[in-house]
Amino acid sequence: MTRRVLLLATLVFVFLVAPLALYAAGTSEAVPGKEIELRWASIWVGQDSKAAPVNAIIAEFNAANAGKIKVVVDPQPDYNAHEQKIRTAIAAGIAPADIWTMKLNPTTAEFYNSPLLMDFTKSFKGDWKASFDAASVTTSTINGMLKSLPFEVAVLPIWFNMDLLAKVGVNAVPKTEAEFWSLMDKLKAAGISASSQMTGDTNAWTSMIWFSHFAISMGGPKVWSKPFTDPVFVKAAEYTKRMIVDYSTADAIGLGAGGSGGHFLAGRTALFSNGPWYAGRADLAATPFFKNITIAGLPAFGPTSNYTVSRIQANICAVATKDKAREAAIIEFLKYLSLPANVKRIAEASGAMFAVASDATPANHLQAQFATLAKNTKVSAQDLEAALGATATLEFGQQLSAFALGRISAAEFTKLVEAKIDR
Amino acid sequence: MSSTAKSGKKSSWLLRLLFLSPVLILFAGFFVYPFFFTLYASFTRWRGIGAMQFIGIGNYVKIFADGTFHLALRNNFIWALSHGFVQIPFAALVAMILLREPKGWRFLRTVYFLPNVISTVALTMVWSSLYNVQFGLINEFLVKILGKQTVHFLGNPDIALSAVIFQTVIYIGYFMIILLSAGMNIPKELYEAAQIDGASVVQQERFITLPMLRGTLLTSITLAMAYGVRHFESTYLMTGGGPAYATTTMGIDLFQKMDALRYSEASTVGVLLILFGTVLIVAIRKIFGKSDPMSDMAQ
Repeated sequence: MTRRVLLLATLVFVFLVAPLALYAAGTSEAVPGKEIELRWASIWVGQDSKAAPVNAIIAEFNAANAGKIKVVVDPQPDYNAHEQKIRTAIAAGIAPADIWTMKLNPTTAEFYNSPLLMDFTKSFKGDWKASFDAASVTTSTINGMLKSLPFEVAVLPIWFNMDLLAKVGVNAVPKTEAEFWSLMDKLKAAGISASSQMTGDTNAWTSMIWFSHFAISMGGPKVWSKPFTDPVFVKAAEYTKRMIVDYSTADAIGLGAGGSGGHFLAGRTALFSNGPWYAGRADLAATPFFKNITIAGLPAFGPTSNYTVSRIQANICAVATKDKAREAAIIEFLKYLSLPANVKRIAEASGAMFAVASDATPANHLQAQFATLAKNTKVSAQDLEAALGATATLEFGQQLSAFALGRISAAEFTKLVEAKIDR
Repeated sequence: MSSTAKSGKKSSWLLRLLFLSPVLILFAGFFVYPFFFTLYASFTRWRGIGAMQFIGIGNYVKIFADGTFHLALRNNFIWALSHGFVQIPFAALVAMILLREPKGWRFLRTVYFLPNVISTVALTMVWSSLYNVQFGLINEFLVKILGKQTVHFLGNPDIALSAVIFQTVIYIGYFMIILLSAGMNIPKELYEAAQIDGASVVQQERFITLPMLRGTLLTSITLAMAYGVRHFESTYLMTGGGPAYATTTMGIDLFQKMDALRYSEASTVGVLLILFGTVLIVAIRKIFGKSDPMSDMAQ
């Protein structure tokens, strides 16, 4: 009887503890001659506009490398959850996958100090390097290391629902600051919420883009190197507050990105701000005003005109490995993924923009407008989040609520944000 | 003692250890080690990557000087009190009514418990819609039926915390079931005797039910306050701690610090959260933890 119980207890112990031990052991090195499986924690899955072309490219790569390399997608449909997973995994000393994407900003730049990330510096050369936008590569190179490849880039202009503008007798986007405020007043007078604004989520996304426009126009492309208490930011904050209080929906304070975008999609707001990936959405294409959306920059609110807000939206990282075969397999796949012909396919299907030069033909008029805008603007600078990092952006969103509600002044608002910037 | 008895005792001891070892290993790995790691990390400068740099109480000084933490601490206190002294009395009241077994009490018991089997995320989404300033049912009611102004429940720092707390504390089913189960064990003879003595229903509840439920009530208050102290999900989903940190809690503050790769500061908040919870729970048990009539009766 005792032996049976002992046997049972041993089995319980083995089944409970053995999986932990196996997990702790991690992945093994590639066996020569055996197929190398690369796991890609991909956000371009499900309803994402890049999912279909990216999956097709992976399938082609796998077919061409059958028996040698196989890329397996580990779907990450929730962007925020994906970012958190990456942070937690790297802090715990575990690579999130063999390949993954991240948003590079002053906060995530800390990952460059991790030995878990592959440094592409040595392998990134020749035609491969030449196909990438040099400025994006420079931005992604920190302390001489290139531990993430710039891939998806974006400009973040203003979207105008021209059907709503037509209702107030305006048939062109404003070219001057006076025309802009006049348009806002006309829309307001007609009972139309002029713009989608929001102070919720971790970055107050839409309003953060508007603020960035105002700041860049008044302070130039190097505005983010100024202290946040600079008069430029105080003025930009006042403009943003005006947009929220006077020219937005009643729920703007505390609203998230879903709500902000939802107002524009439902035709409740005339102006919106977001990146090109939004142009590939099926629900946007289904709106009655889809054909009458104009993508444009804002007029000059200061000395800088013909400017745009931009960012590197997704950098690709890979796990550092001593296994040369696995490292070579990763590089081979990333080279294939970033071939101009493949980037062109993703760009045309999704409307997204990339740091790899390709002769992509925009699939719809919105994507064409994005491409034209990016090509024709003289000044481009990062948005607040990309320039100042997560902590400052969180503070921006939270205190923007207080500022918009009149709890604090513009000067107090900028002082609070300044206190959270890692300089 | 014979050698057979000694060997039997030894194998019995080994057996117990073997059975306990999975739990002990898991407890050590997933609680004891992380706790001491967090405690150590709170005295360092560490961004999750690279070596930790010991800085003494620097993080504690920084956290206590941070206005956001003060708000989080205050909100945690309000959350704990709301759970312990709003949700539990409400649950106790409903439990006492159901203990009288009115018509349909079984159905009502199920209805009250139902929200506890629904995901917090789903409930949060429902309440976010109800609170919506433009299309929410509550504002529709306020404007169209009562002729009042719309209320920005989640966007006004003055009422956002109350709005978030309200949609949590009304779900009393979990504690109602605990109190109902305990109430069912109260001997019926006590009520019969009270009735013979001419005690009213209110007197019976006051002098029999409540004293007999004292132990269970104390446990429920302790559990509810612990839930309040560690609160995170619905607030994070509804407001993200905003607007202007009005609804933030220590859990959200901790999470946001981790999100910004400020792991050592997040660890400091974690340690303070554990300390705060421990002090609060011990205080509650000290204040209300008198003898339990049910235990006395059992003895």
